[in-house]
Amino acid sequence: MIELKALTKKYGDFKAVDDLNLLVKKGEIFGFIGPNGAGKTTTIKMIGGILAPSAGTVTVAGIDIQQDPEKAKSKIGFIPDRPYLYEKLTGMEFLKFTADLYGVPADIFHKKAQQNLEMFSLADWSDELIESYSHGMKQRLIMSAALLHDPEVIIVDEPMVGLDPMAIMMVKDLFQRLAYKGVTVFMSTHTLAVAEDICERIGVINKGHLIASGTTADLQRKANVTDAALERVFLNLTTNVN
Amino acid sequence: MHEILTLLKPRIWPFTNRSVRKKARGSRLKLFFFGTIGLLFWMGIFLVALRVLTYFKGIEEIGDILGYKLLSMILIVCFALLIFSSILTSLSKLYLSRDLQLVHAMPVSSYKIFISRWIDSTVESAWMVVIFTLPVFLAYGIVYRSGLFYYANAVAALAALVMNASAISTTMVMVAVIVIPANRLKSLFIFLGILFFVVIYLAIRLSRPELLVDPEVFDTVMVYISSLQTPQLPILPSTWAYDSIKAGLTGQFKSGLFHTALAWSFFVTIAFILIMVAEAIYFQGFSKTQTASARLFKKNTAGWRCFDLLPGPIKSFTVKEIKTFLRDQTQWSQLFLIAALVVIYVYNFKVLPLDKSPIKTVYLQNLFSFLNMGLALFVLTAITARFAYPAVSMEREAFWLVKSSPLSLKAFLWIKFFIYYFPLLILTEALIVATNILLSVTPFMMTLSIVTVFFLVPGIVAIGIGLGAAYPDFKAENPTQTVTSFGGLVFMIVCAGYIGLVILIEAGPVYNLFMADIRGKTLSPAIWLWTIGSFAAAFVFSLVAIALPMRFGENRLSKRLI
Repeated sequence: MIELKALTKKYGDFKAVDDLNLLVKKGEIFGFIGPNGAGKTTTIKMIGGILAPSAGTVTVAGIDIQQDPEKAKSKIGFIPDRPYLYEKLTGMEFLKFTADLYGVPADIFHKKAQQNLEMFSLADWSDELIESYSHGMKQRLIMSAALLHDPEVIIVDEPMVGLDPMAIMMVKDLFQRLAYKGVTVFMSTHTLAVAEDICERIGVINKGHLIASGTTADLQRKANVTDAALERVFLNLTTNVN
Repeated sequence: MHEILTLLKPRIWPFTNRSVRKKARGSRLKLFFFGTIGLLFWMGIFLVALRVLTYFKGIEEIGDILGYKLLSMILIVCFALLIFSSILTSLSKLYLSRDLQLVHAMPVSSYKIFISRWIDSTVESAWMVVIFTLPVFLAYGIVYRSGLFYYANAVAALAALVMNASAISTTMVMVAVIVIPANRLKSLFIFLGILFFVVIYLAIRLSRPELLVDPEVFDTVMVYISSLQTPQLPILPSTWAYDSIKAGLTGQFKSGLFHTALAWSFFVTIAFILIMVAEAIYFQGFSKTQTASARLFKKNTAGWRCFDLLPGPIKSFTVKEIKTFLRDQTQWSQLFLIAALVVIYVYNFKVLPLDKSPIKTVYLQNLFSFLNMGLALFVLTAITARFAYPAVSMEREAFWLVKSSPLSLKAFLWIKFFIYYFPLLILTEALIVATNILLSVTPFMMTLSIVTVFFLVPGIVAIGIGLGAAYPDFKAENPTQTVTSFGGLVFMIVCAGYIGLVILIEAGPVYNLFMADIRGKTLSPAIWLWTIGSFAAAFVFSLVAIALPMRFGENRLSKRLI
């Protein structure tokens, strides 16, 4: 699970994230939405241990990421929004690299790597250099790598960017299966339809503040709209705050 | 014509609209600074050329012959440089530039795109060669007391040489790209160019050019040079340029004009062929470049078993580092340069004229051995700057993988350290042992050299990794960009200071020990104390040189945002 307490990030005088408090339960798929520049990616990076908070704490799978970052990160499968990889490695080599970093035993690695590559339709490309992969293929490779070490928490920033409809369906299905097995999924997205479709709860961030959090029905109540699509709810919430 | 000029505007406007842009003052200062350096360099070339040509003119009988030989060699070298430069530039401008997708999406025919790009490529590939050879031709005009016709004709002849080189190389490139992908072709040419340069450099060094300044061989060398034949094929554009400029120097008006007109008429023909070829195959070549190249060598990824003994994260980064290094063609050329540097370094010691020195050989040999430690470590510094210093920066935007992994930054930096430490230690020790054997040094000096280098190498590598982590450039396209930064400069200064300090500390005690050994005398307790203290201090500095930079790098890197 993920727990954020008074999480704050300042850049000089500017507060990108301000006093964020959030609890995501084990096995929950949590959607994190907000306008551009709201603080989504900053929050994601702090949870992933890539960015140090200015104040507050981040606890992942019961481990404070600032106290014991390596142990906390070993529980996380991090999937960034932009798939920058080692272009001169093949897909399989990149998976091996990741497996060795996360301590995945060799006998388990081969089977899992093959499974993941087939699941993400990359098996035929596993011996090609990553520099010849398309954007979508790189994104899928990163997802394959993030799942190798059976993480307890998956942090994903814009998971559907660059994926075709079949891949989007597969990823949605995958996240739901993982959540059923007890994996916590924290997902930041602009695609409200995806958030509405698979997330159990959704948090709305605007100007660094968590302005609403809950199920779709909770958000509709807060936005004073009933039976409205998430877009309308989102616009009402963020406009009201403005 | 209008479309061609429009396509050229993005290249022209940055110059013409410079004063309108923000930070114009800063860029004016930068222009002034680099302009001054360029001007000084230009003046230097001019003065050297003037001096050499004046000297040649003063030599009876063969003076003019030497002058014309030099002119011929300069024009051939110029032509070769223009061809090589034009090949690389045209590959980039016509096929690999990032804006080409945008340009080809515009409602402009591909041959007009080609022409605008070719003009751009010609100017970019030639401007530096032309500007820095102009002082040589100016010197010729002054020394040979030529009239205005020479200067006008020389400009026309040089311009024709540039245009012909560009047209010939661009035609070859367009045909080649149909067969070999543009990016692979570019890597191949860079590799061949550097290999060629290394071979020429080795050949010149191994032919012992220092003999040219030996007065005993001077006269015969001059006669030898005068009889040297440079390629004078009548179909080479450099031959036409030579004939034209030589005619201008000697006041042969008609001959000068004839050869200049010949060069330009060839250009008109080749330009016509170039445009026809471009209309036929340029877009095909550009389309082909859009597809990813197939792997030439596909190997089973089950290899690299020898690294299985290493812990997981260390194995990850070691294997990754080696594979990405070997698969990057631009790195191979660096290896050739390093290999040439090492060969020349060792060869220089082989040909040292120790027997001709008035100082006793045994003193010289051991003095050189001591200085050799410093020199070898400076060579190591240069190699470390090229490979170890950019190691962190070369993670580039994939650095998020490191930050998000269960590997501390400290561990990551130490892994980088050990990846580079072992090969650099082996290289430096091999260099020291080889040169000491050539110098026939005493066992004491051999041991001292090996031990000193053994303790200094980790310090230099640690300074490289540490400062490379403190001043990373994750946007750099290649390693040389990071080395020429502020951090790279700090690295070179710190290493020079560190090496100099240790050599200085050891100099006194080593001299005392060496002289005592030669004379068969014993050292006083005070000297022994000084000796032990100096070596202990050198050891402590080495430990500090390892620990401090790594910690500094770790602290600075951990504060960086991604």
